[in-house]
Amino acid sequence: MANAELVTGPFVHTRPGAFTRQRLRFGYGMLAPAILYMVVLVGVPFLWSLYLSLSDATVGNSVAQFVGLRNFAAVLADSTVRQALRNTIVFTVIAGIFKAVLGGLLAFLLMQDIRGKKVLRSLLVIPWTLPVAISALAWKWMFDPQFSAINYVATRLHLMSGWPNWLGEPGLAMASVIIVNVWRGFPFAAIVLLAGMSAVPLEILDSAKVDGANFFLRFHYIIVPMIAPILFVGLLFDTVFTLTDISIVFLLTQGGPMNTTEILPTRALEIGIEAGALGRGAAIALLLFPILLPVVYFLLRFLGRREAA
Amino acid sequence: MNTVHTLGPGLPVAQHATRQAHARAARRRLLVYLGLTPFVIIAVFPVFWMAITSFKTDADLVNPAVFPFWFHQPPTLEHFTYLFQHTYYGDWIFNTLTIAVLVSIITLLTAVPAGYALARVALPAAEKLGIGIFCAYLIPPILLFIPLSRIVALTHLIDTKWALVVIYPTFTIPFCTWLLSGFFKTIPAEIEEAAQVDGCGRLAAFVRTVVPVSWAGMLTAVIFAFTLSMQDFLYSLAFVSVSDQKPIPLGVATDLMRGDVYFWGSLMAGALLVGVPVAILYSFFLDQFITGITSAAIK
Repeated sequence: MANAELVTGPFVHTRPGAFTRQRLRFGYGMLAPAILYMVVLVGVPFLWSLYLSLSDATVGNSVAQFVGLRNFAAVLADSTVRQALRNTIVFTVIAGIFKAVLGGLLAFLLMQDIRGKKVLRSLLVIPWTLPVAISALAWKWMFDPQFSAINYVATRLHLMSGWPNWLGEPGLAMASVIIVNVWRGFPFAAIVLLAGMSAVPLEILDSAKVDGANFFLRFHYIIVPMIAPILFVGLLFDTVFTLTDISIVFLLTQGGPMNTTEILPTRALEIGIEAGALGRGAAIALLLFPILLPVVYFLLRFLGRREAA
Repeated sequence: MNTVHTLGPGLPVAQHATRQAHARAARRRLLVYLGLTPFVIIAVFPVFWMAITSFKTDADLVNPAVFPFWFHQPPTLEHFTYLFQHTYYGDWIFNTLTIAVLVSIITLLTAVPAGYALARVALPAAEKLGIGIFCAYLIPPILLFIPLSRIVALTHLIDTKWALVVIYPTFTIPFCTWLLSGFFKTIPAEIEEAAQVDGCGRLAAFVRTVVPVSWAGMLTAVIFAFTLSMQDFLYSLAFVSVSDQKPIPLGVATDLMRGDVYFWGSLMAGALLVGVPVAILYSFFLDQFITGITSAAIK
């Protein structure tokens, strides 16, 4: 841009305001369609959901009354919602830990100098690239109470005795939805980590080595600070995706058995769409907001700091 | 150290050392492959099982006496023909393609100019707007689907594929704007400046010089408009309940049961048919996806 200013330098001198004004008009004009689309279909609905959560709106009743925080009081008094809140946190945290560990291990293995890495990589990312609803169906079939492929393999290998009904038993059902989420997310974690690793310039590592820094020093002072930003963004994205993904639970267990896999998104769908209680549904979905807010806050602060630097 | 001795009797020693190093490297590679094997099996197995299931006869599928991971009766296409003759699968493909094309067009028309403005026009608020758009991608559908369900109901788009055509750009526009702005930053500024010096206006310079060299970026944006749309489940589930209006993933997930019974052969056939192309397409562009979402951190 500095170059453009230089080229049109004399012009700017004669009519400084006109040039800037014209440039700004052009720039905002180019942005307008995208911004407008987002304001109308993201900004407005978001504010509307705040309003809905404070009203008694239902699908049948278009004239909604303002009811203050009554919806929030009602949904928090609902033991299923409280359980959904707990399950959401358990699901996100446990799945996050497994994805980080497996993704880290896989990234470490893929960093090594081996042949056939491209082929291996393209096989390893399948879980992430498959549409999530399709994966959920494939896993539902693998967890089938009668023909479970997992049970078949595990019992033949003597890793397991008996024939558990994965999606039908409370503890196992939660384990199942976590397994599917981890299966889907670990390649993403690994690829993000690899992207982070490759962002570390080898020259810096080499010169540190020459200066006598051992592996741990290099790891601590060079690799970690350089890949931390990427890890951080990857983690935030994964958390948001996991917190708000409905398809795995919806297709695998519908929140059952006995609400042990009910999460806030499935509950919001049941109340807000299936039962038509828009106000309550919006209130349940907004319970996610206090959980999401720190995530987005850290992201913004983090991006702001980098911008300033 | 060995080089000192290479001319003398040390030569065999040096060879011995290299051989040892080679053996060590080979052992290490073997360990890496061994470590990768379970990951690959776990990643691929569900797809393998999906494929086997969709080509097996029903009798073969439910026979508990045989090894399930291979054919004991000849493979069959009956599940696929069933999909096209007795379900709305053909309509779902048509709907999916219609949605993909229209969402791509809307995304390109909005995200290309926006990405360019963010990358090139030196707006005072460009950084802030860019981050704002990035964050819009992080606003999850779950916070929006209830009010959006009212919007599509009030505009009579509910239960039609058009609802999804209108709604999907809410996540493809921010992602593709972000992606394209990164792409435009890599195009040399000289080409549009030359056009401007030659008397083109800014818009004409953009359309005539930048757009023609941006096909790669735009193709990437289109691929993502499609693959990200295919990852959606919530919006289609909440807005479209009429069978012949569904996109493939929703149709397969909600329409292929007869009564309460899952017919796994046709279900997996339907899943395989959409899953494999999307996964292949996406995996080609996965690196751009990762760059897209991490570029905020490494600019």
